[in-house]
Amino acid sequence: MRPLTEEETRILFAKLANYTGNSLKNLIAPLDNTPDSDRFVFRLHQSRCYYVRLSLANLATSISRDKLLSLGTCLGKFTKTLKFRLHITALPILAQHARYKVWVKSNGEMPFLYGGHVLKAHVGRWSDDCPEHQGVVVYNLHDTPLGFGVTARSTAEARRLDPTSIAVFRQADCGEFLRDEDTLFS
Amino acid sequence: MAPSRTTTVKSKHAANKSGIKNSKTSSKSRSSQDSDGVSKSKSKKQQSKGAALGSATGKGQGVKKKRRVYTEKELGIPALNMITPVGVQQPKGKKKGKVFVDDRESMMTILAMVNADKEGQIESKMMKGRQMEEIREARKAEAEKRQEMRKSKLDETKDGLRKKRKRAGAKGEDGDAGAQEALAGTKPLKKRKSVSFA
Repeated sequence: MRPLTEEETRILFAKLANYTGNSLKNLIAPLDNTPDSDRFVFRLHQSRCYYVRLSLANLATSISRDKLLSLGTCLGKFTKTLKFRLHITALPILAQHARYKVWVKSNGEMPFLYGGHVLKAHVGRWSDDCPEHQGVVVYNLHDTPLGFGVTARSTAEARRLDPTSIAVFRQADCGEFLRDEDTLFS
Repeated sequence: MAPSRTTTVKSKHAANKSGIKNSKTSSKSRSSQDSDGVSKSKSKKQQSKGAALGSATGKGQGVKKKRRVYTEKELGIPALNMITPVGVQQPKGKKKGKVFVDDRESMMTILAMVNADKEGQIESKMMKGRQMEEIREARKAEAEKRQEMRKSKLDETKDGLRKKRKRAGAKGEDGDAGAQEALAGTKPLKKRKSVSFA
């Protein structure tokens, strides 16, 4: 387990910034105003990046590398070509700071959770002025985050789409907790 | 020292490879000859001379002064016949290994840079989207206008034709109504064939 290098940090933030707005800086803000207060840090362990409290990360140093399975919240994985893939486990963090949102009607929830893209007919609401190919967090109508994806069309263009065409390309959905149970955490 | 002529040399070329008497190779070969028994008398001479010199200069000079031996690194000579790829070459004095970013300030700086970058990208995307939308609207409006013009032109020609027909109808009202009807195509010119069954 180690902290991220400068390049890795840049890549991670660039990926997170696809989905979040300026509030991303709250991620690394200290928890209180005291000088040696606890804060959240990023740690890399077996090419997975974890968002974890500093105190917890320090405690975890007493566990040998091969015995340590996971700690904190897993944000995703660095590939060998140094790209970053967000995992569904990062959804709570993304949902907190999401910039653009898509609300899916109840008839579109299950198709999305089974790994399908979001169709125009299933979209209940959109964030205004959302550009094309922009990361969005997908919610149901009760504001529960279901996953995240990338818009296929801008909001203005999507209005003219026919109901069966894809509005949001799926990147990750909560169904992965079950579908990828074997590989998600190890 | 003049080269000794007393040495027995089996072949002329073996002794002096370069063929030049005072060249480096010739002197080297001479020194190498010293090791084999051919020029023993000469080595004895050298030894005795060295000893004589030592006694002349004083004590402690018998030990030859050591020449400093430089390693290749000290000289900084580039290694020959070796290709070092650009990525592999490390600058001198640079620390090995990764540089971690763990303090809040540097992370904030990186975050601010990334955010500004993304903001710019989104802004430009939105601008582009808006422009495209404007162009699309303009094209749509133009197409509608053209459609309207075509429609009005068609209506005009239709009206013209109708008027012409009316005028023509007024002229020869009862003269040749049959011909008028034929022109309009309402009544066939020939008498219709009929079939009757017995």
